[in-house]
Amino acid sequence: MNEMATILGRAGLLTAEQREHWKMAWLSTVDHKRIGILYMVTALFFFVIGGIEAMCIRLQLAVPNNTLLHPDTYNMLFTMHGTTMIFLVAMPVLFGLANYIVPLQIGARDMAFPRLNALGFWLVPLGGILLHFSFLAGGAPAVGWFAYAPLNETPYSSQLGVDYWALALLVLGIGSVSVSINFIVTVLTQRAPHMTLRRLPLFSWMIFINSFLVILALPVLNAGLVMLLIDRRLDTHFFLQPGGSAIMWQHIFWAFGHPEVYIVAIPAFGILSEVIPVFSRKPIFGYEFVAGSTVAIAFLSLLVWAHHMFTVGLGHAVDLFFVASSLLIAIPTGVKVLAWSATMVGGRIRLDTPMLFCVAALVQFLFAGLTGISHAVAALDWQTKNSYFLVAHFHFVFVGLIVFAILGALHYWFPKMSGRMLSERLGKWTFWLMLIGFNLTFIIQHFLGLAGMPRRVYTYPDLPGWGWMNMVSTIGALFMAAAALLFVWNLAASFLHGKPAGDNPWNAWTLEWAGPSPPPHENFHELPPIHSRRPLWDESNPDRPDPVVGTKWQAETTCPEKNKAAVITFIISESGFFGVLILAYLFYNATPQPGPGTHNLNLLKTGLFSLCLFASSFTIWRSEASLQRGRPRAMAGWLAATILLGSVFTIGQGLEYWGLFQSGVRVSSNLFATTFLTLTGFHGLHVCVGLIALLIVLGLALAGDFKQGGTPALKSVGLYWHFVDAVWVLVFSSVYLLPHLR
Amino acid sequence: MTTAQFILSGWTWNPAVLVTGACALVIYVAAFRDHHRFGWFAAALGVLLLTLLSPLNTLADGYLFSAHMAQHILLLLIVPAFLLLSLPRTLSLAAGPRVLGHPLLGWLAGVGAMWFWHAPALCNAAVASRPVHALQTVSLLVLGSVFWRQILAPREEERLAPPRAIFYLFSACVACSVLGIIITFSPVTVCSIYTMQPNDRFGMLQTIRTGWGFSPERDQQIGGLLMWVPMCSIYLTAIVAQLTRWFAQPASPTTRRT
Repeated sequence: MNEMATILGRAGLLTAEQREHWKMAWLSTVDHKRIGILYMVTALFFFVIGGIEAMCIRLQLAVPNNTLLHPDTYNMLFTMHGTTMIFLVAMPVLFGLANYIVPLQIGARDMAFPRLNALGFWLVPLGGILLHFSFLAGGAPAVGWFAYAPLNETPYSSQLGVDYWALALLVLGIGSVSVSINFIVTVLTQRAPHMTLRRLPLFSWMIFINSFLVILALPVLNAGLVMLLIDRRLDTHFFLQPGGSAIMWQHIFWAFGHPEVYIVAIPAFGILSEVIPVFSRKPIFGYEFVAGSTVAIAFLSLLVWAHHMFTVGLGHAVDLFFVASSLLIAIPTGVKVLAWSATMVGGRIRLDTPMLFCVAALVQFLFAGLTGISHAVAALDWQTKNSYFLVAHFHFVFVGLIVFAILGALHYWFPKMSGRMLSERLGKWTFWLMLIGFNLTFIIQHFLGLAGMPRRVYTYPDLPGWGWMNMVSTIGALFMAAAALLFVWNLAASFLHGKPAGDNPWNAWTLEWAGPSPPPHENFHELPPIHSRRPLWDESNPDRPDPVVGTKWQAETTCPEKNKAAVITFIISESGFFGVLILAYLFYNATPQPGPGTHNLNLLKTGLFSLCLFASSFTIWRSEASLQRGRPRAMAGWLAATILLGSVFTIGQGLEYWGLFQSGVRVSSNLFATTFLTLTGFHGLHVCVGLIALLIVLGLALAGDFKQGGTPALKSVGLYWHFVDAVWVLVFSSVYLLPHLR
Repeated sequence: MTTAQFILSGWTWNPAVLVTGACALVIYVAAFRDHHRFGWFAAALGVLLLTLLSPLNTLADGYLFSAHMAQHILLLLIVPAFLLLSLPRTLSLAAGPRVLGHPLLGWLAGVGAMWFWHAPALCNAAVASRPVHALQTVSLLVLGSVFWRQILAPREEERLAPPRAIFYLFSACVACSVLGIIITFSPVTVCSIYTMQPNDRFGMLQTIRTGWGFSPERDQQIGGLLMWVPMCSIYLTAIVAQLTRWFAQPASPTTRRT
């Protein structure tokens, strides 16, 4: 395989000394560009798998009463198709793109935390393997991508498929949160001088905003998955009768699931906002509006999940409020569509392949948005939910917008990544095949849905019109498969023999095009001056530069300390996780139930142990203060006191568990026991992690590491420790104090 | 009583409110007449009077939890915001102890006012007892002003910078939404006094329950939803205003070619 090393070396993707061990050089890399490419190659691999699953589904549905696939196999295939395409294709490819592009666009050397970045990537293959291992462990999950309760519970899905599904999503969720924390900190702290937040290229801006959405939404799903796994492995009843609530699962899933749509859509918006101006030879129309509407979309997306639940029967009052808030989303998305269209008006449009994909994405997104509005209206939603109308709608979002935008992005940035142009001829063929195939497949599905065809049926009777419409849809899918094959061929062929790209083949204006293609290991030797949003335009047109984007607030020019920023971001995401667990505790214990309850708890004893934990917040604060005053000895002393107090609390909690165990309380006794042990258990786990971190810091301190400062490290661990204490304040109030207030 | 009759007769001519309103008007006109911001003040006063005198107040007074919630939101988030906007742009609010100007205090005031007054005992007490009710009204206005001061202080330099302001508003929104979610989906009654109906002074109970379809359960649900969805829209409006403030800033020649 030395040929591979030669090819990579010739493309500038390996240094001379790495040729001998090129596999290691790539697999052990912490360079954001290589990690980005690894992300994208992994996503491409799973795209092929998910695509094959889709083709099986379409072949089965091509004719009425088909017997090609067994019903169970069909259920597994559509579940795996959905899960794969969202968690193993859309998210990784967008994370990969962002990984490659964001540091370059903001003029950074690398991501803020390169090793964390590598961890985030390697969790993707791990999650993918876990998910697909279920095929070998008795059958893949067959519960749909949202795995509704109680179908996802042991009595109804007794095989291991759902367990692997939940584990895989948990792993992928942790990876997504870690990479998003990395994006946020990178954008906040690694920007080149003068690259203020208001001068950020829109793709980077949207990845930045999107990352907040990820760290807020994914932990909610993680909490739900943890509860599901506890249900399945420990025989509890979070989402199962008696006592449990299947609707709770839906709330948790959609509180994640709706933001998830935007988690994959907002980066696609970012792609359109980069490509459309470059190929219209005009700056984006209304940068401020595009950037601002992104914030509004992200905010609203967290607020509207109940519109996925109109058919559950939450009541007219709930429906009414969520109809209104869902319709609101049309405003900021409309602003975006308008801005992109206005960018094209009067521009000198060049219809190269990236632009073709992006224009198609824009038009198809408009269409998806219109059918989306129809779903926001509860009365209409009741008719079309769970029909092919819905299938058509969300494929217009996921394929029509997102896949098209990603294909546009790959055609746009491939020259930067490989140093070679993709074949324009093959690209145009890919585009037209994809365009025809996609619209053939999915436009007709709207009518199938309106004609009453439900989704998730493995076959259907020969009703008037259903047969030929499904056949048309399947033929369209074949076109798309051809387009996908052609695209992969184009990638491989152009990588080997493509036309050399040069630094800036599209005459674009953002910093990633400033240096050679592919960029050197350290990204930039020298940065052009940055005064506006298009530094390369200013450089090549010194006589008519863009208006300078000023700086007014100090916050725009100073960067926060990166460790602190990372811990705060991490704390935000952890709050989401604990928030769900606390809400679940309150919900399930609102009315007393037979069996163990809060009367089994000892308020006084736990109160005393809690005081120890609260006191440890004080000691760690003293420890920081001592370090700042240059007294490492006192710092180590206070640190040791913190560890001691934390350990006392942990032992206290252990004693309480032992007492409960002695009196016959088990996690599956009743919902009080389940929720109590889950909530306090996860808190205890966090305390233990904090203790380990403190021990490491103490060890370093005793070894003399903190003689020369090093305050950020201690401050970061301290922040985390304060957070653990703050969570306990909430847990203690809602578990121990609340029953006494009633 | 029918709905129409109720809208005509459900007004409470509370002398304390009327006198306070009149005094505020006189003081404002005397002090800030020349600053051309009377519109904001009129809006603040108008919303305040409507909230405390209109049939909404009568509904909140023992009939409907959701009406109480609407009142709560108007007093905490709308009236103080308009009031701060009505102040002349040169007025400094920095006087007083420094801790009052700390963002964390403002945040806690805004969020705390929501959580504190919805503890079941306090929520009931505010309906049952006049003095507690008055205390609640005043505290909401004060705490709301402390909350909005970080965002809407008349002087630009006393406000939070836009990115921080967005974070401040967003986190406050989340903290209030959580309570809204709890109230919406809680299987237990938050404010039990509204389910008892001891004193049907206007003979409206029949109309509300059957005519309007407000069963006690739905009433609480709507109360929770008001705190969850429309309240978030208020925060969102403020966030959009912050984005506007951030991006609207013109190019400053001083920073050119730095």
